[in-house]
Amino acid sequence: MLKGFYTAASGMLTQQRRTEMLTNNMANANTPGYKADQSSLRSFPEMLLNRMVSETIPNGNGKNMPSFAQVGSLNTGVYIQETNPLFKQGDIKQTDLKTDLALVHSEMPIDEQTGVAGALFFTVQNGNGDVRYTRNGNFTLDGEGYLTTSGGYYVLDENNERIQLDNDQFTVSDNGVILQDAAQVAQIGIAYSNDPAGQLVKEGDGLFSADAELTNAYDEDDVFFTIKQGYIESSNVDAAQTMTEMLSVYRSFEANQKVLQAYDQSLNKTVNEVGKIG
Amino acid sequence: MNRTMMAASNTLGQLQKQIDVISNNMANVETTGFKRGEASFTDLLAQQLNNQPNQAAEVGRLTPLGIRQGNGAKIGQIQNVQSQGSLKTTNRDLDVAFTKENLYFMIGVEEGNVIRLSRDGAFYLSPNGNENMLVTADGHTVLDENGNDIVIEGDIKEIQISDEGVLKAIKTDGGEQTFNLGVVSVQKPQFLEKLGDNLYGLPDNYDGLGVTADDVLTELTGASRTDISMKQGALESSNVDLSKEMTDLITAQRMYQFQSRSITMADQMLGLVNSIR
Repeated sequence: MLKGFYTAASGMLTQQRRTEMLTNNMANANTPGYKADQSSLRSFPEMLLNRMVSETIPNGNGKNMPSFAQVGSLNTGVYIQETNPLFKQGDIKQTDLKTDLALVHSEMPIDEQTGVAGALFFTVQNGNGDVRYTRNGNFTLDGEGYLTTSGGYYVLDENNERIQLDNDQFTVSDNGVILQDAAQVAQIGIAYSNDPAGQLVKEGDGLFSADAELTNAYDEDDVFFTIKQGYIESSNVDAAQTMTEMLSVYRSFEANQKVLQAYDQSLNKTVNEVGKIG
Repeated sequence: MNRTMMAASNTLGQLQKQIDVISNNMANVETTGFKRGEASFTDLLAQQLNNQPNQAAEVGRLTPLGIRQGNGAKIGQIQNVQSQGSLKTTNRDLDVAFTKENLYFMIGVEEGNVIRLSRDGAFYLSPNGNENMLVTADGHTVLDENGNDIVIEGDIKEIQISDEGVLKAIKTDGGEQTFNLGVVSVQKPQFLEKLGDNLYGLPDNYDGLGVTADDVLTELTGASRTDISMKQGALESSNVDLSKEMTDLITAQRMYQFQSRSITMADQMLGLVNSIR
Protein backbone atom coordinates (compact mmCIF):
# COMPACT_ATOMS: atom_id res chain seq x y z
CA MET A 1 0.00 0.00 0.00
CA LEU A 2 1.03 3.59 -0.36
CA LYS A 3 2.82 4.82 2.74
CA GLY A 4 0.88 8.05 3.04
CA PHE A 5 -2.44 6.22 3.23
CA TYR A 6 -1.85 5.29 6.84
CA THR A 7 -0.29 8.64 7.65
CA ALA A 8 -3.45 10.43 6.59
CA ALA A 9 -5.57 7.94 8.53
CA SER A 10 -3.50 8.54 11.65
CA GLY A 11 -4.02 12.26 11.15
CA MET A 12 -7.78 11.77 11.06
CA LEU A 13 -7.70 9.60 14.15
CA THR A 14 -5.68 12.19 16.07
CA GLN A 15 -8.06 14.98 15.17
CA GLN A 16 -10.95 12.77 16.24
CA ARG A 17 -9.33 12.26 19.65
CA ARG A 18 -8.77 15.99 19.94
CA THR A 19 -12.42 16.64 19.18
CA GLU A 20 -13.43 14.19 21.88
CA MET A 21 -11.22 15.99 24.37
CA LEU A 22 -12.52 19.43 23.36
CA THR A 23 -16.13 18.24 23.55
CA ASN A 24 -15.52 16.97 27.05
CA ASN A 25 -14.05 20.34 28.00
CA MET A 26 -17.08 22.09 26.51
CA ALA A 27 -19.49 19.81 28.38
CA ASN A 28 -17.75 20.67 31.63
CA ALA A 29 -17.66 24.43 31.12
CA ASN A 30 -20.13 24.74 34.00
CA THR A 31 -18.69 22.15 36.35
CA PRO A 32 -17.21 23.65 39.52
CA GLY A 33 -13.50 23.00 39.99
CA TYR A 34 -13.06 21.40 36.55
CA LYS A 35 -9.61 21.76 35.02
CA ALA A 36 -9.57 21.94 31.21
CA ASP A 37 -7.61 19.26 29.35
CA GLN A 38 -4.91 20.21 26.92
CA SER A 39 -3.44 17.83 24.36
CA SER A 40 0.00 17.52 22.88
CA LEU A 41 0.55 15.77 19.59
CA ARG A 42 3.65 13.86 18.63
CA SER A 43 4.66 12.43 15.28
CA PHE A 44 5.62 8.80 14.87
CA PRO A 45 9.35 8.06 14.92
CA GLU A 46 11.19 8.95 11.77
CA MET A 47 12.05 6.40 9.12
CA LEU A 48 14.92 6.65 6.69
CA LEU A 49 13.95 6.41 3.03
CA ASN A 50 16.16 4.83 0.40
CA ARG A 51 15.99 5.04 -3.36
CA MET A 52 16.74 2.03 -5.50
CA VAL A 53 19.66 2.67 -7.86
CA SER A 54 20.90 0.45 -10.62
CA GLU A 55 24.67 0.64 -11.26
CA THR A 56 26.43 -0.92 -14.16
CA ILE A 57 29.34 -3.21 -13.23
CA PRO A 58 32.26 -2.62 -15.55
CA ASN A 59 33.05 -6.26 -16.29
CA GLY A 60 32.49 -6.28 -19.97
CA ASN A 61 29.01 -7.90 -19.92
CA GLY A 62 27.28 -4.75 -18.73
CA LYS A 63 25.69 -6.49 -15.72
CA ASN A 64 23.57 -4.37 -13.39
CA MET A 65 24.01 -4.30 -9.66
CA PRO A 66 21.23 -2.86 -7.51
CA SER A 67 22.10 -0.61 -4.62
CA PHE A 68 20.42 1.93 -2.42
CA ALA A 69 20.91 5.67 -2.07
CA GLN A 70 19.57 7.53 0.92
CA VAL A 71 16.87 10.06 0.24
CA GLY A 72 16.10 11.43 3.70
CA SER A 73 13.82 10.81 6.66
CA LEU A 74 10.05 10.64 6.88
CA ASN A 75 7.54 10.63 9.74
CA THR A 76 4.79 8.15 9.14
CA GLY A 77 2.03 9.57 11.25
CA VAL A 78 0.93 11.49 14.31
CA TYR A 79 -0.77 10.56 17.58
CA ILE A 80 -2.03 12.27 20.69
CA GLN A 81 0.66 11.75 23.26
CA GLU A 82 -0.72 13.42 26.36
CA THR A 83 -3.87 15.03 27.67
CA ASN A 84 -2.78 17.13 30.62
CA PRO A 85 -5.10 19.20 32.80
CA LEU A 86 -4.42 22.92 32.99
CA PHE A 87 -4.34 23.90 36.66
CA LYS A 88 -5.13 27.57 36.24
CA GLN A 89 -7.34 29.16 38.92
CA GLY A 90 -11.00 29.32 37.90
CA ASP A 91 -13.27 32.30 38.60
CA ILE A 92 -14.96 32.47 42.00
CA LYS A 93 -18.76 32.54 42.15
CA GLN A 94 -20.76 33.37 45.25
CA THR A 95 -23.47 30.95 46.35
CA ASP A 96 -25.63 31.06 49.48
CA LEU A 97 -24.61 27.65 50.75
CA LYS A 98 -22.45 27.45 53.87
CA THR A 99 -21.06 24.09 52.76
CA ASP A 100 -19.54 25.50 49.54
CA LEU A 101 -15.79 26.14 49.76
CA ALA A 102 -13.44 27.65 47.19
CA LEU A 103 -9.65 27.43 47.14
CA VAL A 104 -8.30 30.77 45.99
CA HIS A 105 -4.65 31.31 45.19
CA SER A 106 -2.65 33.85 43.26
CA GLU A 107 0.16 32.80 40.92
CA MET A 108 1.67 29.57 42.20
CA PRO A 109 5.47 29.66 42.50
CA ILE A 110 7.53 27.76 39.96
CA ASP A 111 8.95 24.86 41.91
CA GLU A 112 12.76 24.63 41.91
CA GLN A 113 12.89 20.87 41.53
CA THR A 114 10.44 20.41 38.72
CA GLY A 115 10.39 23.75 36.93
CA VAL A 116 6.58 23.93 36.71
CA ALA A 117 4.01 25.74 38.81
CA GLY A 118 2.48 23.70 41.62
CA ALA A 119 -1.20 23.17 42.38
CA LEU A 120 -3.42 22.89 45.48
CA PHE A 121 -6.27 20.45 46.20
CA PHE A 122 -8.82 19.45 48.83
CA THR A 123 -8.13 15.98 50.23
CA VAL A 124 -11.00 13.49 50.15
CA GLN A 125 -11.38 9.81 51.02
CA ASN A 126 -13.87 7.15 50.00
CA GLY A 127 -15.41 4.47 52.21
CA ASN A 128 -12.47 2.12 51.61
CA GLY A 129 -9.87 4.63 52.72
CA ASP A 130 -8.49 5.51 49.28
CA VAL A 131 -7.30 9.11 49.22
CA ARG A 132 -8.16 11.33 46.27
CA TYR A 133 -7.75 15.02 45.49
CA THR A 134 -10.26 17.49 44.12
CA ARG A 135 -10.88 21.19 43.42
CA ASN A 136 -14.68 20.87 43.38
CA GLY A 137 -15.69 22.56 46.63
CA ASN A 138 -19.42 21.85 46.33
CA PHE A 139 -19.65 19.90 49.59
CA THR A 140 -22.61 18.79 51.69
CA LEU A 141 -23.31 17.17 55.06
CA ASP A 142 -24.38 13.55 54.98
CA GLY A 143 -26.85 12.00 57.40
CA GLU A 144 -24.18 11.37 60.04
CA GLY A 145 -22.80 14.88 59.82
CA TYR A 146 -19.62 14.18 57.87
CA LEU A 147 -18.56 16.82 55.34
CA THR A 148 -18.61 15.05 51.96
CA THR A 149 -18.43 15.78 48.25
CA SER A 150 -21.50 15.32 46.08
CA GLY A 151 -20.24 11.82 45.24
CA GLY A 152 -20.02 10.80 48.89
CA TYR A 153 -16.26 11.10 49.38
CA TYR A 154 -15.36 12.30 52.89
CA VAL A 155 -13.43 15.58 53.14
CA LEU A 156 -10.29 15.16 55.27
CA ASP A 157 -8.72 17.60 57.69
CA GLU A 158 -5.00 18.32 58.07
CA ASN A 159 -4.52 15.09 60.05
CA ASN A 160 -6.23 13.03 57.34
CA GLU A 161 -9.29 12.44 59.54
CA ARG A 162 -12.90 12.82 58.43
CA ILE A 163 -14.65 16.01 59.51
CA GLN A 164 -17.87 15.55 61.49
CA LEU A 165 -20.17 18.49 62.18
CA ASP A 166 -23.48 18.87 64.02
CA ASN A 167 -25.19 21.06 61.44
CA ASP A 168 -24.39 23.46 58.64
CA GLN A 169 -24.14 26.53 60.92
CA PHE A 170 -20.36 26.57 60.93
CA THR A 171 -17.84 29.10 59.70
CA VAL A 172 -14.60 28.48 57.83
CA SER A 173 -11.89 31.08 58.24
CA ASP A 174 -9.52 32.19 55.47
CA ASN A 175 -6.87 29.74 56.60
CA GLY A 176 -9.23 26.77 56.60
CA VAL A 177 -10.13 26.53 60.30
CA ILE A 178 -13.69 25.27 60.86
CA LEU A 179 -15.45 26.85 63.83
CA GLN A 180 -18.75 25.57 65.16
CA ASP A 181 -20.32 27.47 68.08
CA ALA A 182 -17.01 29.34 68.45
CA ALA A 183 -15.11 26.09 69.08
CA GLN A 184 -12.50 24.86 66.62
CA VAL A 185 -13.50 21.57 65.04
CA ALA A 186 -10.75 20.96 62.49
CA GLN A 187 -8.67 22.58 59.76
CA ILE A 188 -9.46 21.65 56.17
CA GLY A 189 -6.68 19.49 54.72
CA ILE A 190 -5.10 21.05 51.63
CA ALA A 191 -2.55 19.10 49.60
CA TYR A 192 0.17 20.61 47.42
CA SER A 193 1.68 19.01 44.36
CA ASN A 194 4.85 20.46 42.87
CA ASP A 195 4.37 18.62 39.55
CA PRO A 196 0.61 18.32 39.12
CA ALA A 197 0.60 17.15 35.49
CA GLY A 198 3.21 14.52 36.28
CA GLN A 199 1.76 13.20 39.51
CA LEU A 200 -2.00 13.40 39.11
CA VAL A 201 -4.37 11.40 36.92
CA LYS A 202 -7.97 12.46 36.29
CA GLU A 203 -10.51 9.91 37.42
CA GLY A 204 -13.81 11.61 36.85
CA ASP A 205 -16.33 12.94 39.38
CA GLY A 206 -13.92 15.84 39.93
CA LEU A 207 -11.29 13.56 41.48
CA PHE A 208 -7.56 13.22 40.84
CA SER A 209 -5.54 10.25 42.00
CA ALA A 210 -1.84 10.17 42.71
CA ASP A 211 0.58 7.31 43.20
CA ALA A 212 2.42 8.96 46.06
CA GLU A 213 0.77 11.00 48.80
CA LEU A 214 0.95 14.75 48.21
CA THR A 215 2.53 17.08 50.74
CA ASN A 216 0.61 19.24 53.19
CA ALA A 217 0.18 22.71 51.71
CA TYR A 218 0.32 24.42 55.12
CA ASP A 219 3.96 23.33 55.43
CA GLU A 220 5.03 24.94 52.18
CA ASP A 221 6.60 28.35 52.82
CA ASP A 222 6.01 30.29 49.63
CA VAL A 223 2.58 28.91 48.79
CA PHE A 224 -0.20 31.36 49.70
CA PHE A 225 -3.89 30.56 49.47
CA THR A 226 -7.21 31.32 51.16
CA ILE A 227 -10.35 29.25 51.59
CA LYS A 228 -13.58 31.13 51.07
CA GLN A 229 -16.84 29.81 52.48
CA GLY A 230 -20.01 30.40 50.48
CA TYR A 231 -18.09 30.61 47.21
CA ILE A 232 -17.41 28.05 44.52
CA GLU A 233 -14.61 27.90 41.94
CA SER A 234 -15.98 27.77 38.38
CA SER A 235 -14.50 25.66 35.62
CA ASN A 236 -11.43 27.17 33.95
CA VAL A 237 -12.66 26.23 30.45
CA ASP A 238 -12.63 29.13 28.00
CA ALA A 239 -15.73 28.48 25.88
CA ALA A 240 -14.75 30.77 23.00
CA GLN A 241 -11.25 29.32 22.71
CA THR A 242 -12.55 25.75 22.87
CA MET A 243 -15.13 26.42 20.17
CA THR A 244 -12.50 27.99 17.89
CA GLU A 245 -10.20 25.04 18.40
CA MET A 246 -13.00 22.64 17.54
CA LEU A 247 -13.55 24.45 14.25
CA SER A 248 -9.88 24.32 13.30
CA VAL A 249 -9.65 20.66 14.35
CA TYR A 250 -12.63 19.92 12.11
CA ARG A 251 -10.93 21.56 9.12
CA SER A 252 -7.76 19.63 9.82
CA PHE A 253 -9.83 16.43 9.85
CA GLU A 254 -11.33 17.46 6.53
CA ALA A 255 -7.90 18.17 5.02
CA ASN A 256 -6.69 14.71 6.01
CA GLN A 257 -9.81 13.25 4.48
CA LYS A 258 -9.02 15.00 1.19
CA VAL A 259 -5.52 13.49 1.25
CA LEU A 260 -7.10 10.07 1.72
CA GLN A 261 -9.35 10.72 -1.24
CA ALA A 262 -6.35 11.69 -3.37
CA TYR A 263 -4.58 8.44 -2.43
CA ASP A 264 -7.74 6.60 -3.27
CA GLN A 265 -7.67 8.12 -6.76
CA SER A 266 -4.03 7.06 -7.22
CA LEU A 267 -4.79 3.52 -6.12
CA ASN A 268 -7.76 3.53 -8.44
CA LYS A 269 -5.41 4.23 -11.34
CA THR A 270 -3.02 1.52 -10.18
CA VAL A 271 -5.70 -1.10 -9.81
CA ASN A 272 -7.95 -0.33 -12.71
CA GLU A 273 -5.92 1.42 -15.38
CA VAL A 274 -2.42 -0.08 -15.38
CA GLY A 275 -2.28 -2.78 -17.99
CA LYS A 276 -5.72 -1.95 -19.26
CA ILE A 277 -6.40 -3.27 -22.67
CA GLY A 278 -8.66 -1.29 -24.91
CA MET B 1 -17.07 10.67 16.83
CA ASN B 2 -19.19 8.22 18.74
CA ARG B 3 -17.56 9.31 21.98
CA THR B 4 -18.12 12.95 21.13
CA MET B 5 -21.79 12.33 20.49
CA MET B 6 -22.18 10.28 23.67
CA ALA B 7 -20.48 12.88 25.85
CA ALA B 8 -22.56 15.69 24.39
CA SER B 9 -25.86 13.84 24.64
CA ASN B 10 -25.15 12.75 28.22
CA THR B 11 -24.59 16.38 29.13
CA LEU B 12 -27.71 17.47 27.26
CA GLY B 13 -29.87 15.22 29.40
CA GLN B 14 -28.34 16.57 32.59
CA LEU B 15 -28.67 20.18 31.45
CA GLN B 16 -32.36 19.49 30.99
CA LYS B 17 -32.55 18.55 34.67
CA GLN B 18 -30.84 21.79 35.64
CA ILE B 19 -33.35 23.75 33.54
CA ASP B 20 -36.15 21.83 35.31
CA VAL B 21 -34.81 22.93 38.70
CA ILE B 22 -34.50 26.54 37.55
CA SER B 23 -38.05 26.61 36.14
CA ASN B 24 -39.43 25.11 39.36
CA ASN B 25 -37.68 27.87 41.29
CA MET B 26 -39.09 30.55 39.01
CA ALA B 27 -42.61 29.14 39.23
CA ASN B 28 -42.44 29.31 43.04
CA VAL B 29 -41.15 32.85 43.34
CA GLU B 30 -44.36 33.87 45.18
CA THR B 31 -44.80 30.74 47.31
CA THR B 32 -44.64 31.33 51.07
CA GLY B 33 -41.67 29.72 52.73
CA PHE B 34 -40.29 28.15 49.52
CA LYS B 35 -36.61 27.21 49.57
CA ARG B 36 -34.98 27.29 46.15
CA GLY B 37 -33.09 24.36 44.69
CA GLU B 38 -29.63 24.65 43.19
CA ALA B 39 -28.17 22.06 40.83
CA SER B 40 -24.41 21.73 40.48
CA PHE B 41 -22.46 19.65 38.03
CA THR B 42 -19.61 17.19 38.22
CA ASP B 43 -17.74 15.47 35.42
CA LEU B 44 -18.30 11.87 34.42
CA LEU B 45 -15.85 8.99 34.67
CA ALA B 46 -12.61 9.39 32.77
CA GLN B 47 -11.34 6.37 30.87
CA GLN B 48 -7.69 5.69 30.25
CA LEU B 49 -6.62 4.87 26.70
CA ASN B 50 -3.22 3.24 26.39
CA ASN B 51 -2.53 4.52 22.91
CA GLN B 52 1.20 3.96 23.21
CA PRO B 53 1.69 0.76 25.20
CA ASN B 54 5.40 0.57 24.34
CA GLN B 55 7.00 2.49 27.18
CA ALA B 56 10.41 2.40 25.49
CA ALA B 57 9.07 4.63 22.74
CA GLU B 58 8.11 7.35 25.24
CA VAL B 59 11.62 8.33 26.27
CA GLY B 60 11.83 11.48 28.32
CA ARG B 61 8.10 11.63 29.08
CA LEU B 62 7.31 13.30 32.43
CA THR B 63 3.59 12.58 32.71
CA PRO B 64 1.69 9.34 33.39
CA LEU B 65 1.39 7.06 30.34
CA GLY B 66 -1.71 6.90 28.21
CA ILE B 67 -4.39 9.54 27.79
CA ARG B 68 -7.47 10.13 29.92
CA GLN B 69 -10.72 10.87 28.11
CA GLY B 70 -13.83 12.10 29.89
CA ASN B 71 -17.45 11.44 29.04
CA GLY B 72 -19.21 14.76 29.64
CA ALA B 73 -20.86 16.12 32.76
CA LYS B 74 -23.67 15.08 35.08
CA ILE B 75 -25.62 16.69 37.91
CA GLY B 76 -23.61 16.14 41.11
CA GLN B 77 -26.32 17.14 43.56
CA ILE B 78 -29.38 19.33 43.86
CA GLN B 79 -29.27 21.21 47.15
CA ASN B 80 -32.04 23.18 48.85
CA VAL B 81 -30.70 26.60 49.80
CA GLN B 82 -31.97 27.35 53.30
CA SER B 83 -31.34 31.11 53.35
CA GLN B 84 -33.95 33.19 55.13
CA GLY B 85 -36.60 34.71 52.88
CA SER B 86 -37.68 38.32 53.42
CA LEU B 87 -40.69 38.96 55.63
CA LYS B 88 -43.94 40.29 54.22
CA THR B 89 -46.15 42.08 56.77
CA THR B 90 -49.79 41.02 56.52
CA ASN B 91 -51.07 42.15 59.97
CA ARG B 92 -53.15 38.99 60.14
CA ASP B 93 -53.18 37.40 63.58
CA LEU B 94 -52.85 33.86 62.29
CA ASP B 95 -49.86 34.53 60.03
CA VAL B 96 -46.46 33.63 61.48
CA ALA B 97 -43.04 33.69 59.93
CA PHE B 98 -39.77 32.25 61.21
CA THR B 99 -36.97 34.77 61.39
CA LYS B 100 -34.21 32.21 61.73
CA GLU B 101 -33.03 29.54 59.30
CA ASN B 102 -33.53 25.79 59.72
CA LEU B 103 -36.67 26.03 61.91
CA TYR B 104 -39.84 24.26 60.75
CA PHE B 105 -43.41 23.86 61.98
CA MET B 106 -44.73 20.38 62.73
CA ILE B 107 -47.74 19.53 60.59
CA GLY B 108 -49.83 16.41 61.03
CA VAL B 109 -51.10 14.73 57.86
CA GLU B 110 -53.25 11.61 57.43
CA GLU B 111 -55.27 12.14 60.60
CA GLY B 112 -52.13 13.09 62.51
CA ASN B 113 -50.35 9.76 62.02
CA VAL B 114 -47.56 11.21 59.92
CA ILE B 115 -45.63 14.33 60.85
CA ARG B 116 -44.36 16.62 58.14
CA LEU B 117 -42.44 19.90 58.33
CA SER B 118 -43.29 23.27 56.84
CA ARG B 119 -42.03 26.87 56.77
CA ASP B 120 -45.42 28.14 55.63
CA GLY B 121 -46.94 29.99 58.59
CA ALA B 122 -50.33 30.95 57.09
CA PHE B 123 -52.68 29.26 59.58
CA TYR B 124 -56.48 29.14 59.80
CA LEU B 125 -59.07 28.13 62.38
CA SER B 126 -61.25 25.20 61.42
CA PRO B 127 -64.50 25.26 63.42
CA ASN B 128 -65.96 22.04 64.78
CA GLY B 129 -68.96 22.74 66.97
CA ASN B 130 -67.74 24.79 69.91
CA GLU B 131 -64.10 24.09 69.15
CA ASN B 132 -61.62 25.54 66.68
CA MET B 133 -58.63 23.60 65.40
CA LEU B 134 -55.48 25.31 64.08
CA VAL B 135 -54.87 24.12 60.53
CA THR B 136 -52.86 25.02 57.43
CA ALA B 137 -54.39 26.20 54.17
CA ASP B 138 -54.77 22.56 53.01
CA GLY B 139 -56.54 21.50 56.18
CA HIS B 140 -53.59 19.69 57.78
CA THR B 141 -53.40 20.17 61.56
CA VAL B 142 -50.67 22.27 63.13
CA LEU B 143 -49.14 20.31 66.01
CA ASP B 144 -47.89 21.49 69.38
CA GLU B 145 -44.55 20.49 70.88
CA ASN B 146 -45.90 17.10 72.01
CA GLY B 147 -47.31 16.21 68.61
CA ASN B 148 -50.95 16.83 69.53
CA ASP B 149 -53.52 18.85 67.61
CA ILE B 150 -54.11 22.40 68.77
CA VAL B 151 -57.81 22.67 69.68
CA ILE B 152 -59.11 25.93 71.13
CA GLU B 153 -62.46 25.77 72.93
CA GLY B 154 -65.04 28.50 73.16
CA ASP B 155 -65.37 31.82 71.36
CA ILE B 156 -62.07 33.45 70.62
CA LYS B 157 -61.55 37.16 70.97
CA GLU B 158 -57.85 37.39 70.08
CA ILE B 159 -54.89 35.16 69.33
CA GLN B 160 -51.37 36.20 70.29
CA ILE B 161 -48.27 34.33 69.19
CA SER B 162 -45.09 35.24 71.02
CA ASP B 163 -41.68 35.40 69.38
CA GLU B 164 -40.74 32.15 71.10
CA GLY B 165 -43.64 30.14 69.72
CA VAL B 166 -46.23 30.37 72.51
CA LEU B 167 -49.78 30.69 71.17
CA LYS B 168 -52.18 32.35 73.58
CA ALA B 169 -55.89 32.33 72.76
CA ILE B 170 -57.90 34.96 74.67
CA LYS B 171 -61.60 34.06 74.88
CA THR B 172 -64.55 36.39 74.91
CA ASP B 173 -65.43 35.24 78.43
CA GLY B 174 -61.97 36.27 79.70
CA GLY B 175 -60.42 32.79 79.84
CA GLU B 176 -57.11 31.94 78.20
CA GLN B 177 -55.58 28.86 76.59
CA THR B 178 -51.89 28.61 75.81
CA PHE B 179 -50.12 26.16 73.55
CA ASN B 180 -46.47 25.72 72.65
CA LEU B 181 -46.31 25.52 68.85
CA GLY B 182 -44.35 22.47 67.69
CA VAL B 183 -41.06 23.64 66.20
CA VAL B 184 -38.28 21.47 64.82
CA SER B 185 -34.67 22.54 64.28
CA VAL B 186 -33.17 20.76 61.30
CA GLN B 187 -29.45 19.93 61.58
CA LYS B 188 -29.01 18.36 58.15
CA PRO B 189 -31.42 20.25 55.89
CA GLN B 190 -30.15 18.53 52.73
CA PHE B 191 -31.66 15.31 54.06
CA LEU B 192 -35.21 16.64 53.78
CA GLU B 193 -37.31 15.96 50.70
CA LYS B 194 -39.76 18.40 49.16
CA LEU B 195 -43.14 16.68 49.19
CA GLY B 196 -45.34 19.34 47.62
CA ASP B 197 -48.00 21.51 49.29
CA ASN B 198 -45.16 23.38 51.08
CA LEU B 199 -44.39 20.23 53.09
CA TYR B 200 -41.01 18.63 53.80
CA GLY B 201 -40.27 15.19 55.19
CA LEU B 202 -37.55 12.61 55.67
CA PRO B 203 -37.05 10.25 52.74
CA ASP B 204 -38.74 6.84 53.09
CA ASN B 205 -35.53 4.84 53.13
CA TYR B 206 -33.58 6.84 55.68
CA ASP B 207 -33.56 3.89 58.12
CA GLY B 208 -31.61 1.83 55.63
CA LEU B 209 -29.01 4.58 55.29
CA GLY B 210 -27.98 4.17 58.89
CA VAL B 211 -29.36 7.55 59.88
CA THR B 212 -31.75 8.16 62.74
CA ALA B 213 -34.28 10.95 62.79
CA ASP B 214 -32.41 12.49 65.73
CA ASP B 215 -29.32 12.98 63.57
CA VAL B 216 -31.27 15.08 61.13
CA LEU B 217 -33.73 17.10 63.23
CA THR B 218 -34.30 18.08 66.83
CA GLU B 219 -37.73 18.77 68.29
CA LEU B 220 -37.39 21.91 70.37
CA THR B 221 -38.89 21.41 73.83
CA GLY B 222 -38.21 22.92 77.23
CA ALA B 223 -35.06 24.96 77.53
CA SER B 224 -34.12 24.65 73.85
CA ARG B 225 -37.23 26.62 72.92
CA THR B 226 -35.21 29.80 73.42
CA ASP B 227 -33.71 29.08 70.00
CA ILE B 228 -37.09 29.72 68.38
CA SER B 229 -37.57 33.07 66.73
CA MET B 230 -40.78 33.91 64.90
CA LYS B 231 -42.93 36.93 64.14
CA GLN B 232 -46.71 37.17 64.21
CA GLY B 233 -48.49 39.12 61.47
CA ALA B 234 -45.92 38.38 58.78
CA LEU B 235 -45.23 35.71 56.17
CA GLU B 236 -41.85 34.56 54.85
CA SER B 237 -41.46 35.06 51.10
CA SER B 238 -39.63 32.52 48.98
CA ASN B 239 -35.85 32.96 48.79
CA VAL B 240 -35.82 32.78 44.96
CA ASP B 241 -33.82 35.58 43.34
CA LEU B 242 -35.32 36.02 39.87
CA SER B 243 -32.29 37.76 38.39
CA LYS B 244 -30.02 34.90 39.47
CA GLU B 245 -32.43 32.31 38.09
CA MET B 246 -32.65 34.14 34.73
CA THR B 247 -28.85 34.32 34.51
CA ASP B 248 -28.57 30.61 35.31
CA LEU B 249 -31.22 29.85 32.72
CA ILE B 250 -29.38 31.80 30.03
CA THR B 251 -26.12 30.02 30.90
CA ALA B 252 -27.83 26.63 30.76
CA GLN B 253 -29.39 27.44 27.40
CA ARG B 254 -26.03 28.44 25.95
CA MET B 255 -24.44 25.28 27.30
CA TYR B 256 -27.25 23.36 25.63
CA GLN B 257 -26.41 25.10 22.37
CA PHE B 258 -22.73 24.24 22.66
CA GLN B 259 -23.51 20.57 23.23
CA SER B 260 -25.78 20.36 20.20
CA ARG B 261 -23.09 22.14 18.17
CA SER B 262 -20.67 19.40 19.25
CA ILE B 263 -23.12 16.74 18.08
CA THR B 264 -23.55 18.49 14.73
CA MET B 265 -19.80 18.69 14.29
CA ALA B 266 -19.35 15.02 15.14
CA ASP B 267 -22.08 14.19 12.65
CA GLN B 268 -20.32 16.20 9.94
CA MET B 269 -17.06 14.41 10.68
CA LEU B 270 -18.80 11.07 10.30
CA GLY B 271 -20.19 12.36 7.02
CA LEU B 272 -16.68 13.15 5.86
CA VAL B 273 -15.59 9.61 6.68
CA ASN B 274 -18.53 8.22 4.77
CA SER B 275 -17.74 10.25 1.68
CA ILE B 276 -14.11 9.14 1.28
CA ARG B 277 -15.28 6.76 -1.40
